[in-house]
Amino acid sequence: MIIKSQHTAQALFSSVTEIVDSSHSKIGPSAINNNNLNKTQSTGTSLLVDSTMIETDEKTQAISTALSTPDRSFQSLEQRDSNTQRKQGRLAAFAGKELPHEKPPQMEDVPLFTTITAYMSFMLILAIAHVEDFFGMLFLPQKYVNLRVQNGYAPMVSDFESLWTRHVYFRMLDCFNRPIGSVAGGYVKLCERISHDYNRTIHYTGGLQNVLNLASYNYLGFAQGEGVCADRAIKEMDANRLTQSSTRAEVGSSRLLIETEEMVARFVGTEAALIVSMGYATNALNIPALVGEGCLIISDALNHNSLVAGARLSGSIIRVFKHNDTRDLEKLLRRSIIEGQPRTHRPWKKILVVVEGLYSMEGEYCNLPKIVELRHKYGFYLFVDEAHSIGALGKRGRGVCDLFNVNPREVDVLMGTFTKSFGAAGGYIAGSKALIDYLRLHSHSAVYAESMSVPVLAQVSSSMRMIMGEDREHALEGQQHLEQLSENSIYFAQKLKDLGFMVIGDYGAPIIPLMLFNPTKMLAFAHECHKRNIAVVVVSYPATTVVTSRVRICVSSAHTREDLDYALEQISEIGDLLMLKIHKNRIKQKQLK
Amino acid sequence: METVASTASFVSSASPVAGETDESSHGFLRTAWDFSFRMVLRYIKNSYKDDPFRTFLEVCLIGFIVWYMAKPKYNIGTNKVELSEKEIDELVEEWRPEPLVPALTEFERETLDKAIMIDGPNGTKVRLASGSNNKPVLNFASYNFLGFVDSPELGKHAVESLRKYGVGTCGPPGFYGTLDVHMELEKQIAAFIGHSAAILYSQAFTTTLSVIPCFSKRSDIIVADEGVNFAVQQAIFLSRSKVYWYKHNDMADLERILKDVNKQLVGRRGKNALPRKFIVTEGLFQNTGDISPLVELVELKHRYKFRIILDESFSFGVLGKRGAGLTDHFNIDPHEIDLLIGALCFAIGASGGFCCADKDLVEHQRLSGAGYCFSASLPGILTIAAADAIHALEADPDSYLDNLRDNAVLLRTLLKRIPGLQIDGAADSPLIHIRLAPDALVRMKRSGGAWTKTDIDRVLTDVAEEAQKDGVLLTRAMYVDDHERILPNSSIRICVSSAHTRKEVEKCAHAVKSAVSRITSKKR
Repeated sequence: MIIKSQHTAQALFSSVTEIVDSSHSKIGPSAINNNNLNKTQSTGTSLLVDSTMIETDEKTQAISTALSTPDRSFQSLEQRDSNTQRKQGRLAAFAGKELPHEKPPQMEDVPLFTTITAYMSFMLILAIAHVEDFFGMLFLPQKYVNLRVQNGYAPMVSDFESLWTRHVYFRMLDCFNRPIGSVAGGYVKLCERISHDYNRTIHYTGGLQNVLNLASYNYLGFAQGEGVCADRAIKEMDANRLTQSSTRAEVGSSRLLIETEEMVARFVGTEAALIVSMGYATNALNIPALVGEGCLIISDALNHNSLVAGARLSGSIIRVFKHNDTRDLEKLLRRSIIEGQPRTHRPWKKILVVVEGLYSMEGEYCNLPKIVELRHKYGFYLFVDEAHSIGALGKRGRGVCDLFNVNPREVDVLMGTFTKSFGAAGGYIAGSKALIDYLRLHSHSAVYAESMSVPVLAQVSSSMRMIMGEDREHALEGQQHLEQLSENSIYFAQKLKDLGFMVIGDYGAPIIPLMLFNPTKMLAFAHECHKRNIAVVVVSYPATTVVTSRVRICVSSAHTREDLDYALEQISEIGDLLMLKIHKNRIKQKQLK
Repeated sequence: METVASTASFVSSASPVAGETDESSHGFLRTAWDFSFRMVLRYIKNSYKDDPFRTFLEVCLIGFIVWYMAKPKYNIGTNKVELSEKEIDELVEEWRPEPLVPALTEFERETLDKAIMIDGPNGTKVRLASGSNNKPVLNFASYNFLGFVDSPELGKHAVESLRKYGVGTCGPPGFYGTLDVHMELEKQIAAFIGHSAAILYSQAFTTTLSVIPCFSKRSDIIVADEGVNFAVQQAIFLSRSKVYWYKHNDMADLERILKDVNKQLVGRRGKNALPRKFIVTEGLFQNTGDISPLVELVELKHRYKFRIILDESFSFGVLGKRGAGLTDHFNIDPHEIDLLIGALCFAIGASGGFCCADKDLVEHQRLSGAGYCFSASLPGILTIAAADAIHALEADPDSYLDNLRDNAVLLRTLLKRIPGLQIDGAADSPLIHIRLAPDALVRMKRSGGAWTKTDIDRVLTDVAEEAQKDGVLLTRAMYVDDHERILPNSSIRICVSSAHTRKEVEKCAHAVKSAVSRITSKKR
């Protein structure tokens, strides 16, 4: 299942990276070394703090203090480095020495056996697929009729493109696209379905299965059919009906829309904001208004497909830096600025660096303080996609800026969605008044796309008011949701780690990726979870690399401690069954010590 | 790898002393590799004995190869300049980016200040927050063709569906974001249009933006109408296919291009001998109000083996006896349209869009349609609202469509009588663009000089404002001027609704007439 189009992005940018790779210019070794040294030293000091913090039992308290201290901003980043090091068990060796090149922390100490079997099973799947196709085309040509030229028409889906879909995705179809019949809250009702012919046809029995929902992005638990937000939505629908049936720039703006936009700006901490009726469109239709020909977009390697689409639509040059590697970003920036535009070497009109606040497949935060520092140094414009982080991160739920104590005005364009924490739909762009005014007339979403519907606006404004504590009757509820979410995320991730699972992602992130590695384990895991009444999301290639299939668990404030304990118990059993606890021995050794 | 290793051993043993006698040091090698190594060794020894000069030459040659390989590489054609750190810092310091967004022009600022804000519900009659008196005005600006936006049909199940599904779905369709009502609506739309299957997207613009690049790839060919709306233009750009544009609704020109394309493909060999070929056009053109000649299109499609991608965003619910769009209008089997794109946010009054196609193609989109796969699904309330609206239309199409057609024809005839205006579009299209006729423009500009686009826009804005004083809400058709491939001439776009009464339509025509005469008589 593709959710993060790393692959697409790579394919797209391959030409660019080739160019970048082929020129072996070495820029700024001394500057970078200096940075390294400083970073290592500070890492060394913060290490002690971190390790003690995690060992203590009063995790939740430690977290809230950590989150409240101003230097938390730098801790969490150093913590990532320190986690990696601790895993390697070479902690002391690095103290005072230069760090090696930042490797992706998740793949550090995967047992060789796991890696090899993962590759093997993947190769086996592909081999079987090819063999099946070969004999199939020989003996059952009518089955492959859609892949051939017929009647002078080229096949709609080419042979190669569909290999994955037909042989792998189809087999695992049961893990995906499962319809639900209720609110996607802490619990969700799945439609029961059955297939007698290997997923070629699927029958819905009509039954509903009530399961614990560890899949939906309902971070703050605002996806509800009852309660304040739902009541407000009904009230607004009574007063303002459902939709506008026009675009934002023509006659689609209502008082409610404008009030909500003002509220979003206040919430995010910027001068103004613009609301778009769909999350994907917020990126894909607004980036082209900001940059165009003669501009450069520097994008994180794991950026979401909507950002990639927006970048491509803008017509500017796109370059990619290694995921979350600010050193690589700086190198790329220096090289890009001195080289200028390709061929003509004219200076770039604008450079837009596009990153995400919280990466949805990795559960990692972007290194915002460092990027903001670079922004001051190099003068590029910064676009932060807070699709997952807004509402879910930071002490006040104001996203990644809040988490790192960065002034939101240091970021030129703040984008976010309402689909996740707010339990609504659509997205926003926030920034300076000049930016938003320009976008109101020049963004494709504002001029050509339908404006936001009334119930969705009502949901956004009421949930946002609750988070901000502006709703007098429910003044404390929003804050409670935030605290519950942070507590749940930390508890669940730590418990999974204690069980011996390999869990990646940053401390306190509500997205918890649990590594499966083996692509075939995805189906097994999803099935076992469904049996035990838990809904989870499993992802693999092309969303991730071939051998890093994973389960993505989204924790919500709607989950109680009992819910989480139940899930942990069941996932632990599944882990034993599927041999997923690859760090089990290490945990045991640690306990013995 | 092996050759390198053997070369290395060859070199080392080539020197007369190297391990000549020391057989015991290789004693642990019991492999075939060892055997071959000794064979080589023996060969070298013998050749050295027989012809030392040849050995010398060979050593020289190997030395040359090693030197050649180790030599720093050079690239042809790169003029790379090595810069010092200080120079780079200076260059970085010197680089001044343009501002993120340019400042608004005076006219843009005015447009923004005068932007219409609706107070209360949208519909055929609306209250404006900006207006001085709070009298409701007649809305001829929203795409509310069937009047669903203010009909009770749309909100019939709103409360129930909110209680059952909440507002947002909190996930993309692949990951527990598909509601049972989504699947029902997909079936309902497919059945209503008469196609095999349908897939729901959560925004109309993104539907087009996803469907076209999902099937038309870099090596494929698109032949598109010049007058298509912006979403289609963007989708074609995103697909990176080879694109040919034919003159708006000109079938002769289309045929010429199709022939041409096929001629170019003759004799092409290899993997990509036959690319996918598409004709892309719109059912009811948003920018002109014209209707595509589908009968000819289908004929050309068969003759030249192209597929049709048809954007029915504005024709779905509007054209045809049942309101099922262009295929219904021309009585053509919808299966002839390979990819039929529609919108639920205009005539239907809900939100989102859909694509009708064969089952395989629909299933393919569930993984490859970016706007489907990567974004949250359509909220449950809006899904049910769309389903209710389509049900209502299905149950009694005449009550909606007859009225709509009558109103459209009436308004068009009334508007055509107004001097100084140019009215385009098909006779029964409810989308009517009012443009200033060239002779009227000449008459108005007494001071002489050319009309700029901003001048015309300003006149049209003034006309819309005048009409608003008479109680009719109109809007200038908005475009992102510098991104449109061919910017349509400035116009006021009027959308007729079936919910308008005959009197209201007449009032609209009258308001336009008096506004135009007042504005055009002004001295400029």
